Amino acid sequence: MKRIGLIALLVVLLVSVSAFAGGQGEAEQAPAAAAESTDGFDWRQFEGQTIVACWPNHGHYNATIKSGVIEEFEELTGIDVEIDLLQYIKMHDKQVLEMSKPGSGDYDMVSMVVMWKAEYAMGGMIEPLQPFFDNPNIAVPDYDFDDLVPGYVEVTGIAGGENIYMNGEGAELYGLPFGSETSFLVYRKDLFDQYDIDVPETYDDLVEVARFFHENVDGVGGLTMRGASGHHATHGYLLHASPFGARILEKGTWEPAFTKPESIQTIEFMKKMVEYGPPGMTGYTQDEEWQAFLQGDAAMYLDASVFTGAVNDPAKSKVVGKVGYALHPTAKTAGSETGGFGLGIPKNAMNPEASFLFMQFLTMKETERKIIEAGGAPFRMSSVNDAGLQAKYPEFKVLAEQLKYANPDWRPIIPEWGEINSTIGVYINQALTGDKTPEEAMQDAVGPVRDVLVRAGYVD
Amino acid sequence: MSSQSLREKSSPLLFLMPAILIMAFILLVPIIIGLRLSFFEWLLRNVSDDPIFVGLRNYIELFKSENFRTSVAVTIRFVVSVVVIEIVLGLVLALLLESGLKGLRFFRTLFVLPIMVAPVVVGVMWRFMYNPAYGKINYFITSMGFEPVGWLSDPNIALTSVIIADVWQWTPFVFLLALAALQGVPQDLSDAAVVDGANYMQKLLKVKLPYIASIIGVTAILRLIDAFRSLVVIFNLTYGGPGVSTEVMSLHLYKSAFVSQRLGLASAIAVLLLLLIILLSLALIISSLKNKEK
Repeated sequence: MKRIGLIALLVVLLVSVSAFAGGQGEAEQAPAAAAESTDGFDWRQFEGQTIVACWPNHGHYNATIKSGVIEEFEELTGIDVEIDLLQYIKMHDKQVLEMSKPGSGDYDMVSMVVMWKAEYAMGGMIEPLQPFFDNPNIAVPDYDFDDLVPGYVEVTGIAGGENIYMNGEGAELYGLPFGSETSFLVYRKDLFDQYDIDVPETYDDLVEVARFFHENVDGVGGLTMRGASGHHATHGYLLHASPFGARILEKGTWEPAFTKPESIQTIEFMKKMVEYGPPGMTGYTQDEEWQAFLQGDAAMYLDASVFTGAVNDPAKSKVVGKVGYALHPTAKTAGSETGGFGLGIPKNAMNPEASFLFMQFLTMKETERKIIEAGGAPFRMSSVNDAGLQAKYPEFKVLAEQLKYANPDWRPIIPEWGEINSTIGVYINQALTGDKTPEEAMQDAVGPVRDVLVRAGYVD
Repeated sequence: MSSQSLREKSSPLLFLMPAILIMAFILLVPIIIGLRLSFFEWLLRNVSDDPIFVGLRNYIELFKSENFRTSVAVTIRFVVSVVVIEIVLGLVLALLLESGLKGLRFFRTLFVLPIMVAPVVVGVMWRFMYNPAYGKINYFITSMGFEPVGWLSDPNIALTSVIIADVWQWTPFVFLLALAALQGVPQDLSDAAVVDGANYMQKLLKVKLPYIASIIGVTAILRLIDAFRSLVVIFNLTYGGPGVSTEVMSLHLYKSAFVSQRLGLASAIAVLLLLLIILLSLALIISSLKNKEK
């Protein structure tokens, strides 16, 4: 069966004669010159090489492994792929260590959480991808770069432009989206029907619904949310900060902006969710957040969209077939997460070109479909908008709509973000546990965050 | 004559020299490099750049930092709690099992198991047990009619939870050493005390404990040093949260080096941690030496 699939894939690749137009991150750059010869792309030019990829233990990546596309790639190209699978939050330290090695490091491909993108790119740790796409020998002819969800490309791949981490002058492409996400609401349709509750459209509705479950349904909390000290609390905060209109740093001046009323409002909201939610949320990492919903202990989930893979997996979820999907509720504005993972190639990779082939193979349309089948997340507009897929996966329809409201400036992912992220998350957590009032906590965070910004030269 | 005595004196040194040199190289050199680095600013994300000399800035920053002061306080509370509890519990267990109890071998094996579990596993295991939704501990508590406890989510309880896990793992270590020491107490000493009419408590306090005091002292020092450096269990159990309520110095150090990526600042913490351990160990060693003289 595998062989037939492989042959079919080869035929598709060889027969296709569409002109090479993909691979252009920047509109002003001309398409590669050697685009004429689309047939006869040499997949086996790096036969015998081995590439090592550092990947997260994460729904989308696990689906990729399960789908068998890696073996397909190995058969197609004769390249050996080794996956170093790590807990996602721990990948950073190992990747930085490997990529700072003089000579060549162990990794040929890194999966980076978007918040590390600017740090890696500005620190010269990963390769700009445009030269690879411009090289006709290794750029797959009908890759169709423009079909990749533009918001995902911006947040996972672009660095050097506006605010360092967005499109704009000086921006370059450093990564491709793979396991990227926005946020939407996942809710227990069965319970909502049973108690005749409307799906929340605003944050006020959300509070009411969460309170209802807390007060009336035994053993089911309102909303499951991450709150553990550090990164997770910050992530939880950002999810709601965007609709409330709160920002971490002031636009233009880089001054801390999280003491403003919108920010305090965000934390007040989170405190209510802690009160109405499943027990112990102030210690929740992403894992506990997911488990609470999958085990049926929470009525709603409002976080990364990649969650749907786990929700629909009977081996992990007790709520298969009992869920509905809706847009991220609005407060002052609509604004959902832009985040997740992208793929990059370390500057000190041993086999960067073989790695680039793998990168393209993983993000091609045909491969994407197979990964979706296995429970992965879509990252191409053609899939999100595909009527057949939307019928099979009802969340795609919501996703297609939600992507219009995804906020590319969701968090300030400057190279120093890692430090700010974990610093501020401690204070947010202290506000959630009641150790400090929201105002106190946010005020206390200003000093340490400003120190980071002063040291890096953003503010005086 | 004098040259011979010199040779006699110097030959042990000569034999020891290779070992001393190797120890000096692998122990002292990293410490000196670390000490030097603590006066520099060096970012992990720019390791290819040269470190920048900043004088005492890292130390000044640490003393001004609320989170660092908290981490020192948390460390001391953690270390003192675990060492005291483990020594007392370990001693009690050893005394219970010392007097030729039936099945001693079985209990000894049973009690030693936790030491052999990798710290990562201990962290994950306790994390599961403390889990508010599906953890066994809260399950038993609630089924007995009590309110569920936020073991890892309540800033007032989290440190206790961490201490429980550490005590669970390391009490057996104290127990083993105490048991070995107790079995080394000469029988005739105990017998003599009994002949003189000593009851159990008198025998324990006047004969056995003084006899094993030095071994217990060494055990305490070992546990103390180990507890100061313990990172893995806390790393997996709470990662320092809620807030910074369980962030011990070694975890603060880790986060400074790998999250904030400031290697100079992390080195400064390492230096302070080293100083603290040396001071406390010296205090313990001196007091146990004084005891011996008495």
